Amino acid sequence: MAESTAKPGAVPAEADRRDFLRILAMAGGAVGVASVIWPLVDALNPDAAGAAQAQPIVTVSDIPENSAKTVYWANMPILIRRLTDKQIADAEVVAMTDLPDPAEISSRVAPGNGHFVVVVGLNTGTPCELEGNSPSGPRGNYEGWVCPCDGSQYDVLGRVRSGPAKRNLAIPRFTFINKAQIQLG
Amino acid sequence: MEAKQGWLASRVPGLGCVCGLMKEGRAPGVCWIAALPALLGALLAVLLASGAVITVYYNPWHAYASLQGITREVRGGWLVLSYHQVGASLAFALLYLHLFRILLVRGYRAPAEFAWMLWVKLLALLLLTGWLGFVLNGGEGGYSSLFNTSNAATTLSGFPGAVAMWFLGGQPGGSTLARLLVFHVLLALCAVWVILMARAAARKARPMLQGRVVPFWPVYAAQYFAALSALALLFALLLGFAPHWGQGTQNAIPAAAMAVPSISYPWYLTPLAGLAGVFPSVTGHIWAVVAAVALLYALPWLDRSKGAPPGRVYKLLTWLLALDVLALGLFTACPIGPMLPELLTFWFFFHFLVLTPLVTMMEAA
Amino acid sequence: MMRRFFAPLLAAGLLAGAAAHAEDTLSPLKFQSEGAFGSIDLAAAQRGFAVYQGVCASCHGMGALHYRDLQALGFTAEQVAGIAASVKLADGSAATPDSHFKEPAPVNMGGATPPDLSSIVAQRPGGTRYIYNFLTGFGPAPAGITLLPGHNYNAAFPGGQVSMPDVLRDNAVTYADGTKATKAQEAADVAEFLTWASDPNLSARHAVGLRAVIFFAFLTIVAVLTKRRIWRQEG
Ligand code: HEC
Repeated sequence: MAESTAKPGAVPAEADRRDFLRILAMAGGAVGVASVIWPLVDALNPDAAGAAQAQPIVTVSDIPENSAKTVYWANMPILIRRLTDKQIADAEVVAMTDLPDPAEISSRVAPGNGHFVVVVGLNTGTPCELEGNSPSGPRGNYEGWVCPCDGSQYDVLGRVRSGPAKRNLAIPRFTFINKAQIQLG
Repeated sequence: MEAKQGWLASRVPGLGCVCGLMKEGRAPGVCWIAALPALLGALLAVLLASGAVITVYYNPWHAYASLQGITREVRGGWLVLSYHQVGASLAFALLYLHLFRILLVRGYRAPAEFAWMLWVKLLALLLLTGWLGFVLNGGEGGYSSLFNTSNAATTLSGFPGAVAMWFLGGQPGGSTLARLLVFHVLLALCAVWVILMARAAARKARPMLQGRVVPFWPVYAAQYFAALSALALLFALLLGFAPHWGQGTQNAIPAAAMAVPSISYPWYLTPLAGLAGVFPSVTGHIWAVVAAVALLYALPWLDRSKGAPPGRVYKLLTWLLALDVLALGLFTACPIGPMLPELLTFWFFFHFLVLTPLVTMMEAA
Repeated sequence: MMRRFFAPLLAAGLLAGAAAHAEDTLSPLKFQSEGAFGSIDLAAAQRGFAVYQGVCASCHGMGALHYRDLQALGFTAEQVAGIAASVKLADGSAATPDSHFKEPAPVNMGGATPPDLSSIVAQRPGGTRYIYNFLTGFGPAPAGITLLPGHNYNAAFPGGQVSMPDVLRDNAVTYADGTKATKAQEAADVAEFLTWASDPNLSARHAVGLRAVIFFAFLTIVAVLTKRRIWRQEG
């Protein structure tokens, strides 16, 4: 397009029309190339199976009070626990100074539904899966979870209470899609 | 713009030469059919790009199932697979057309014989790549073809046997398709290289420019663009409304443990399959294919015309050859009678081995 | 992305199609999925799924499909969850929308095993119509043909002898939309369902193809005009 090649004899209107055609052709070509390439790029997004796996939906309505269930997501155990009203009330009065890794209750329970705690069930000390989902199992002194490998203890909100672990259990990304189900990721 | 090009060109070796092509002078009024190699290059680009996406999801250990997954689970996966299938179909169509045109105008003679040999190499590469693609589908037809071929390869002795075994890795088994996938990709990359070489060789062989010259940009750029748009239109028609044209239904069936007695090939392999099928035993088929391609390769020496323009008889015979090849493909796909493939195959070899030297010699005299 | 883009267009086309084909599609036999502008008849395919689930699924698997794929036929997520939940898998658990279609227990009838039907329409010459003809092609063997043991006569099947029994009959299923479940209707509906299963992108392909053809036809005209003009001036 660098050289504007209207010949001396050509009528200006003709040249204009030609330029319009050229621009149309080039724009059309660009649109064509882009729309041919787009599906190739789009196909590299996660496929249907991968998408279903990346954001699994977990039913939580079937968890009894004071119990937890484990689901595996991204190769991590995810613990989902339903708290009793009393446990929530008790947790509210714990002094921050008693906690190795201070965290308010509001930062530990599910947004929108204060009765659910969702944490990654891996001890933050020695890497090891935690015990304590069922009320009858070992839960330590704080009614939460204990690590069978190094004896670290967590409370119902997944906050570390006695070591060797020093940090609270991590909280995965999740949202409530309705009262009964949460979606991870 | 100009200044920038200068800046880049002074830092990237070879770029100046690419930009130079844009301004290069050419003879005016060249027919659009000379754009075929450029179109072939565009198709190759489509094949490589869609192939790259397919390879992300393709699993040679579960070939059929993974392709089903691409059509059903991958976003727009069916579209990407269709790019690859339709692209392959059209690439063969254009290459056959291009070879036919060179034959018709006797463009294979010196000084263009090197370019011609590269085009024939491209044909051989595409045929092998296409066959591998057919096998990689994991369908019944492809598996049977692979099974027959590797069975025959075990009976070859000496150097050919060693090459065949190296290529196929023994009897078809779990990882055969994984190795063939690598060859499929490597051969496709070789095809890109060969097409570039052939283009360069053909340019070198062009007669010296005399009289008026016109620049490539915008004169031939506009022509190439129009040809490319028309090709895209054809592509869209096939992709939308006849995605499996010339493919048959056999390869849509997942490969079973047993080979099927009669294999239906995609249309672009049928003429060759028919030609091979005339000969007894699969070993015979393999040699027939090699011989057919080798004859094309040797054409510059079979032609005895020494620069004389092609005469009427030669042109007629070339048209006959095209019909012969078309018929060979057609009657292999839908057989109608005995002896027909034999006759057509005989004509193919007769054309190159006897008629070509004879007629060209007579017409030159 | 692509699908979301084309969905409104498709839906409009499908609605128009549904209005046009609400009447009899059996005489003469007509499939909405046929032809260059064909698209899947979702209502028929939904009925066809009922036939598959009620009649064919005891012998034939469709391993390439998940229950969630049925949403493409217009079933809602809840309906799909219900369909999946009603299926007991081999290990006794209920299927979920992400499960593959249940594999039936393997059977061998007269030396043949029922093929997987996921892609059957793509695997048989004649496609949709062949399936219909096959399902309605059973009958008494004509004089002069002796059936092999465990085989039935079928006029559409290559060779005429098939080990699958004639399984369709009037009212073999009850249709949720009130359509009369004649044998021919069931055969046509299951054929449309199998057509969708073999090529779930059939409707999208035709929509994309049509747009691409229109666009590139336009571009070709513009390009040829441009080329001519440039050649007249410079060529
Ligand atoms: C009692 C078990 C059984 C049921 C129920 C059954 N089939 Fe079959 N079907 C078979 C068997 C066995 C074969 C293999 C026949 C052969 O190859 O001889 C077969 C083959 C087929 C074929 C392939 C025909 C071909 O061309 O090779 C189709 C299509 C088919 N069935 C469709 C259906 C449909 C649709 C239904 C439901 C309406 C159904 N079948 C129900 C047992 C069954």
